[in-house]
Amino acid sequence: MIKSKFLLPLTAGAALLFATAAFAGPKIVSGPGADPACFKPWTPETKYFQWEKKPGPYRIAIVNGFVGNTWRIQMIKTAKAFAEQAGIKGDIKELKVISTGTDVAAQLGAMEDFINQGYDAIVTIAVSPEGFDRVIKLADKNNVVVVPFDNVLDTDKVMMVNEDQKQLGAMPGEFLIKEIGKKEGKILEVRGLPGNSVDRDRHIGFRNVMEAAGNKFQIVEVVGNWDDGTAQKVTADAIAVHGKFDGIYVQGGTTGVVRAMMDAKHPFVPVAGESENGFRKLVAEHAKDGLKGLSIGQSPGLVAISMKAAISALKGNPMPQLISIPIPGGDYTTFKDGVNYWSNLTDNFFTTNEFAPCGVNISATEIMAKDEKNSN
Amino acid sequence: MSATKSSDLGLRLRQNMGFAIAVVLFAVVYFLYQLSHPKGFSSQVFVQNSNEVFSLAMLAMAQTVPVLMGGLDLSVGAVMTLVDCLASHVLEGSGWSIFGGIVLCLLTGAAAGLVNGCVVVFGRIQPIIATLATGAIYMGLALFLRPIPGGKINEDINWAMTNSLADFAETVGIFDDGKAPWFQTIAGFPTSLVFLIVVASVIWIPFRRSVTGRTVYAIGSAEGAAFMSGLNIERGKLAAFTLAGIFAGIGGIFMAIQTSSGNADIPMAGAYTLSSIASVVIGGTSLLGGTGGAIGSIFGTLILKVISFNFRIFDIAPLLQPLFEGLVLLGAVSLGALSILRVKNQLELFR
Repeated sequence: MIKSKFLLPLTAGAALLFATAAFAGPKIVSGPGADPACFKPWTPETKYFQWEKKPGPYRIAIVNGFVGNTWRIQMIKTAKAFAEQAGIKGDIKELKVISTGTDVAAQLGAMEDFINQGYDAIVTIAVSPEGFDRVIKLADKNNVVVVPFDNVLDTDKVMMVNEDQKQLGAMPGEFLIKEIGKKEGKILEVRGLPGNSVDRDRHIGFRNVMEAAGNKFQIVEVVGNWDDGTAQKVTADAIAVHGKFDGIYVQGGTTGVVRAMMDAKHPFVPVAGESENGFRKLVAEHAKDGLKGLSIGQSPGLVAISMKAAISALKGNPMPQLISIPIPGGDYTTFKDGVNYWSNLTDNFFTTNEFAPCGVNISATEIMAKDEKNSN
Repeated sequence: MSATKSSDLGLRLRQNMGFAIAVVLFAVVYFLYQLSHPKGFSSQVFVQNSNEVFSLAMLAMAQTVPVLMGGLDLSVGAVMTLVDCLASHVLEGSGWSIFGGIVLCLLTGAAAGLVNGCVVVFGRIQPIIATLATGAIYMGLALFLRPIPGGKINEDINWAMTNSLADFAETVGIFDDGKAPWFQTIAGFPTSLVFLIVVASVIWIPFRRSVTGRTVYAIGSAEGAAFMSGLNIERGKLAAFTLAGIFAGIGGIFMAIQTSSGNADIPMAGAYTLSSIASVVIGGTSLLGGTGGAIGSIFGTLILKVISFNFRIFDIAPLLQPLFEGLVLLGAVSLGALSILRVKNQLELFR
């Protein structure tokens, strides 16, 4: 079936095919792009894409992978709430949301199906950083804008949206040093899922700050899997073994960590953690006792920025290939009930849904009010 | 004569009730999908659908063989992943190196299956436990080959295998680069679907008709009776697992070609194993062994997939989709079990 002759003629035949495909798709242009405060290029070297302008309103598909944790569910609800907001509603003719599970073939198939159906943009959380070459080629051929976010691809051929994970690790480091007030002490670092690039990058960002020249921190590292239950248990163990910490950095599962601290009668110390509602509730309650908290995180609201980026690209604006979203969050001085945390919502609601530079703010009530109707 | 023929057909239908229901159900749901698709019944849609289905269909066929024998193979997803990771290393070159790479991948799949068979036959361990353990080993090997996703596949194979026959012919350079007049009638056919049919008819059908193949059915039906009839039980079991490994290996090769990379994705391997078992059951093969076949399992896969195809067309709440999918599957399996109601002797239920 595949013999030596396989290779020879293909260069001609396929080269022709690829050549025609190469003409379609985005042009590489020079910056600056549209709305640079919101669509910030990842680095100064990031290239810019420009698609052919299409008349609106647009049909947008969201191809999620895994579904089943609160973050993903909130992400889906956010997408629907955002599509209903004034200023965006007029640009969206149809919004379809599907989840394909962890199967890469199903995700590729779904994206190709939406391209065939004539959708204008596909926003996706990739289940694998590799393997999307064919779909990208087809999307370019049909002038469909594909926007991976959160779990992005190892390619520079599509426009992608994410938060800088190293920065997400560095900010807690800076916060802890500021709040502890000296450059030494014992720090607990509660890490995320082992082997995940997000865990790795946040860890590197954190250590770069904490281990900078002149700092003498002793850092104890435990693995909390970004999960309240696991984080609570490993924190309890760490406190039992090491006694007292001067500060804690948690990648995820912060509510559990603070509860473990309270259960062990550990004095309140500065905690830099994720954007869980439960953590903010506890900080608001105990900040005066010393629980000085920083709460930042990977927001499910990234989906809204990705939709906004897709629409902007469809309107023919130049867009950075890799967009760095300003990290949303706040600390104990800014928390206000009903504004950036909600005492009447569950602990595992993700609070960070406002992106001031992008003019995007999806309030908790809007998100929670959205039922799971598929189409708007 | 015609009366005998029709009653013959009726009997065959009754014996293959599950299979028949699977085919009809698939036809109806798929027709609905194509009808509502803006580009329904076009080559692109068929190409996309069959690419998406191919690997799982292979795993479903792989799973069918041990199930017919009354066992379960929990390692099919891992074997697929292992071969996928291997393929991402050996299918990058060109010409004979690709040919050698494909042979190596197939041999790896077969070897993995044979090891499963040896553990079951000579270790005398239940298939479900044996393959749970070997599956973990294969997953470990896959992670060793590809600690992080990556690799590369020859672009032309990727293009030829994941498009229509016309593109295949043009890339390989046969039939006047796919422009021969007679070729046009089938030019829009998806290449992956053609390969699926080829694999089923070149590997599965001859196997089913062979003595070894019938031994597999006999083992699932009544192992003691099969042994007393002088059938070579050990050979049957080894062959069943080896064949499962080969099918899973073909699935892995296609997965690598389709994604142009290798990825030792543990959750995905698990999901594929579970889906392969579901496909087998929906396709009318009894988990107790002895009845059914790999063609039915292909239709089982098609049903499994076509339900989620419809989510892309019709408006179903995203968070309710898994529930909806589960209900349809439960319905499909229950329909297949309806024949129980007509059982005359209750003892038959214990089969």
